[in-house]
Amino acid sequence: MKKFIYLFFIVILSCEKDDICPETTQTTSRMVIEFYDLTNPDQLLEVPGLFALGLNSEGIEIPINNEIVTTRSSIALPLKTDETETEFNLYKNYDIVDGTVIGNPDTIKVTYSPENVYVSRSCGFKTIFDIQTFSITSDSDQWMISSDTLISTITNENDIHIKILH
Amino acid sequence: MKMTSILKYYISCLSGCLCVCMSVYAQENSTKITDSLVVKHKYGIRVGVDISKLTRTFLESDYSGIELNADYRLTDRLYVAGEVGNEDHTTSNNYLNSTAKGTYLKVGVDYNMYNNWAGMENMVYSGVRLGISNFNQRLNNYTIYDVNNTTWGQTEIFDGKDFNGLNATWLELVFGFKAEIFNNLFMGLNVQIKRRLSEDQIDNFENLYIPGFGRTYDSGNFGVGWGYNISYLVPIFKKAKK
Repeated sequence: MKKFIYLFFIVILSCEKDDICPETTQTTSRMVIEFYDLTNPDQLLEVPGLFALGLNSEGIEIPINNEIVTTRSSIALPLKTDETETEFNLYKNYDIVDGTVIGNPDTIKVTYSPENVYVSRSCGFKTIFDIQTFSITSDSDQWMISSDTLISTITNENDIHIKILH
Repeated sequence: MKMTSILKYYISCLSGCLCVCMSVYAQENSTKITDSLVVKHKYGIRVGVDISKLTRTFLESDYSGIELNADYRLTDRLYVAGEVGNEDHTTSNNYLNSTAKGTYLKVGVDYNMYNNWAGMENMVYSGVRLGISNFNQRLNNYTIYDVNNTTWGQTEIFDGKDFNGLNATWLELVFGFKAEIFNNLFMGLNVQIKRRLSEDQIDNFENLYIPGFGRTYDSGNFGVGWGYNISYLVPIFKKAKK
């Protein structure tokens, strides 16, 4: 009888973790972009002073959580879970001098169909994005030259979804 | 004078004889009393209701339920037992909200491990049950789990989804006691450990709560439950303990 009561409490206590979504669980993933050398398309090439800002429906720049200016060859961008397209400004050599932004922004636009998929009791639902199109808006001093969709379904952040040549 | 003494003698003889006779008779009588002291146990149907479910119905806004239980004594220690109930429970956390409602039936046996003193009918028992539940589940609303939602905001979905005609079966181990607090009126407490045998899988969601089984766990097929019962024994016959 005593043993049973202990077992009962062990069972109850061991279940509590069910109510917290583990960080290791893949929930809604960001779109991962890698930057490659235009002259040598198999070679990763870092973008100096890369910085990304989101664009809302009015075209106003929105800061992205945890996004900081760094020189790197890949970036992960969060997509809108309740819409079918998201736009970003990607800056090369981003800096602020005397209150004015310097650097070269290029606008990218991704369209997709979102699907809400059940994960678990504690994590609820996540959104999976199926990329339809990915485009770089052309301008006079475009630094991103071409793009390629490598994996069109965004289910985790270990995949590289978009390859950009610059 | 002689006659009276003879008469006295006869009377005393007669009365002595009567006394012996009576005492013999009395002895026979007392043997019968000893016989009637053989412990007889009550056999019958005990019906009851789960008070804890009724209490929760009044106290908790996200729960309503009722459970009736019954057992029938087969032998000195063995009872056939069962429960039938109806539950309506809403599960909600930061990311989702869903309601399950349905009916369930549990049948099995209880084994009394308690050695009662004469005249007592208490139970400390363990039992097994086979449970079956028929229920509906509705996903009321949910919020997309997105750790990066500070940029674009949370997305909440309010158009729910219904999953009807679901079934689940499970096996249950019960441990508990039933104490006779008044004549034929019992109070009982029990705990249950359950293991799901089958359940209907649903598209892009799962059964978070199964009436009768209780909440489910991500980590496995098991579940837990408890009950607090008041029951009344309808005695049908008495039988001596062997």
